[in-house]
Amino acid sequence: MKKIFFIIGFLISNNVFSILEIEILKGSDNLSKIAFVPFGVEENIKEVYGSKISKYIQENLLLFGEFENLDKAEMLSYPSSEEDFYYRDWKVLGVDYSIIGKVNSINSFGSLSISYSLFNINRRIKILEGEIVGNEDNLKGISKIISNRVYEEITGLKGIFDTKLAYVINSNSDTYQMCISDIDGKNEQILFTSSAPIMSPDWSPDRKKIAYVSFENGLAEIFIQDLSSGKRESIQALGMTNSAPVWSPDGKSIALVVSFSGNPDIFLYSIRKKRLIRLTDHYGIDTEPSWSPDSKKIIFTSDRSGSPQLYEINTQSKRKKRLTRDGNYNARGRYFPDGKSIFFVHGNNGRFQIATKKITSRYIETLTSTSLDESPTISPNGNIIIYATKNGSNGYLGGITLDGKSRFSLPLKNGSVREPAWSPLLN
Amino acid sequence: MMNKVLTSLNTFFFVILSVSIIFSLFSIPKLDVEETKSTRVNFYEVMQQEEKSLKTYPSNKKLKKEANSTYENNDKREIDNISKIPKFEINKSHLKNEISKIKLSRERKDILRVSTIIQNRISSIWIKPNSLSDTLSAKVLINLAPSGEILNFIMTEPSTNKSFNDSILSAMNKLSFFEEILVLERKLFEENFRNFKLVFKSSGEID
Amino acid sequence: MEPIGIFILAMICQVYSCAANVSDSVERAQYASVSGEEYLQDDKLVTNLNDKVFFDFDKSTLDAEDKTLLEEYLPFIKRAKIVRLEGHCDERGTREYNLALGERRALEVRDFLVIKGVSGKKIRVVSFGEEKPLKNASNEKAWSENRRVEISLY
Repeated sequence: MKKIFFIIGFLISNNVFSILEIEILKGSDNLSKIAFVPFGVEENIKEVYGSKISKYIQENLLLFGEFENLDKAEMLSYPSSEEDFYYRDWKVLGVDYSIIGKVNSINSFGSLSISYSLFNINRRIKILEGEIVGNEDNLKGISKIISNRVYEEITGLKGIFDTKLAYVINSNSDTYQMCISDIDGKNEQILFTSSAPIMSPDWSPDRKKIAYVSFENGLAEIFIQDLSSGKRESIQALGMTNSAPVWSPDGKSIALVVSFSGNPDIFLYSIRKKRLIRLTDHYGIDTEPSWSPDSKKIIFTSDRSGSPQLYEINTQSKRKKRLTRDGNYNARGRYFPDGKSIFFVHGNNGRFQIATKKITSRYIETLTSTSLDESPTISPNGNIIIYATKNGSNGYLGGITLDGKSRFSLPLKNGSVREPAWSPLLN
Repeated sequence: MMNKVLTSLNTFFFVILSVSIIFSLFSIPKLDVEETKSTRVNFYEVMQQEEKSLKTYPSNKKLKKEANSTYENNDKREIDNISKIPKFEINKSHLKNEISKIKLSRERKDILRVSTIIQNRISSIWIKPNSLSDTLSAKVLINLAPSGEILNFIMTEPSTNKSFNDSILSAMNKLSFFEEILVLERKLFEENFRNFKLVFKSSGEID
Repeated sequence: MEPIGIFILAMICQVYSCAANVSDSVERAQYASVSGEEYLQDDKLVTNLNDKVFFDFDKSTLDAEDKTLLEEYLPFIKRAKIVRLEGHCDERGTREYNLALGERRALEVRDFLVIKGVSGKKIRVVSFGEEKPLKNASNEKAWSENRRVEISLY
């Protein structure tokens, strides 16, 4: 009898007739290799337009180190239409994707029609094609649109090449500048210059305004500046210090910190009614608010436990939840666009680094390897984090893709750069 | 009446017994998910455990011998301990069992080895999409020729994420052969690798 | 009898005046050590105290040394029309949290001064967080000098 049980037990454990399954959890450390084939041109169009467009697309897609490119010199052919495209020419070069295209003339006023195609070499299929009509003096803008579509097709994530970055520059001579630029660092615009510190820039969801803190009147004060008119307006909130403004996802209110008689707490400021609603009330420091993507919660830093830790508060029920427990410094939290994870500054053994954590798990993962990292900001597609760090006394901006495959730093500026804020996508 | 019931019960058990024996002989050892996840480590652990279990009897005997030599000088407690050690006997059924175990473990070892190689090869070419916050899983059924050539593959259970599925198809298209299976006995190939599945997973964590 | 009495009286007077001299010189010495630089700003006399109150990392509590220092300043602080307390932090940690922490530090000094009899109405508190470091370097020495409250008298 015992033997029977033994055999039956053996049977069950072996699970008869099941098909062998091999699990693949780990992906390759390699990057997808893309061939940016110079675009062909119609007879009456300057050839340089074709090579410029493919060059701009290449610059965009390689901006954050997410892809590898095939050197132009290695290409066996420069096809500009599907008829001339042979998969094997690219397969032998280890290419994963090829982008080809052609510039056609529409009229004599410089209007162009640019057609493009994206091929998946491994699957031997065309995965994207399109046509854009634009003007010859806007080749960069056209290239950004193509770059976004290609990026979206390959990664499944939103293209971010027409986003912008806001940041503060402090040059040696006590000059502070509030700046914005395209995400590739080009087109820098100085919004405001002051001899007193500027802090905490944040974009309105419609990308038309920026809120920031300026000390121009001797103490921390929040200003909202309109980008098209340049007009600045102070939020005349009461209290000693007004700081850390963050727009709500609907753009109707700003979460901010007001310190009445020296006790900083989180408030909601409705822009239309110009009214303050108190959210937290604690004798500890409550600061660095940020909205959850669904607007229902606000994450903030508080030292109520004795060290700065992250909490979230429901804006309706005012119910609070502590989010971090490990380490004695977890501050300036922000939600990922999916709302399931957060990223923040994590202090550990005297090093301050950018870290992430799922809201539901306790495990904190450090992303960066430098030691004075702060002010992380995430791309609207949730794939890249740009943060401020220091090399000696000079501040610069570093970046990292969330799969950890790419680390990069943004071009150096004339002065110490800090507090990057990634703009939302244009709708 | 009672006799009838007894005989039918007997037949029933006999049928179960014989079916079980047949199945256990031909059954396909299943590599479950957790095992292949950290293949190398687990694999050796499994093998070591099996080797240990084979060695238990001789080592017991040795222990007993040693204990016997110091028998006189020891107190009662140890005598009790010794008496608890099972006696070593050569038992036919045990031996049979061990032989089938060894055979099975060798097959298992081969399957695991080939699976690990396949696993590593796919990992080296699969460019996983970035920052997927959801836990995703997709299954691909592969049909191999005895030469190792991939005759056909099909995504039987795609995930909900298009770029995740696309990345898997791109990776699968980079492969045309699994020559690794050539080392296997034909029987093992037919049982395990003629048709097998790859389960691509994204844990949602940053790797 | 009389000359002796006069002598004793003279002695007492001398001792007394001597003692007075001593206390005077002590006060003068104190004056010299804490007066700092005085200059005119907006036609008002401004005193920038040379010394500052320093703090430990992520802390805003005053230690005994800080308190002694502040007590030494008290006569000047009491005489000033406006007392400006400027809180600062080192570069480590996050900027907005440091802004709040700088305010904490300045408030700690204010509370101490108020307990010691300085009118709270004339004290202005401002925090610059980590925005205005004294030493622009990333080492323990620079950090300890940057974690400070600066006291200016108007």
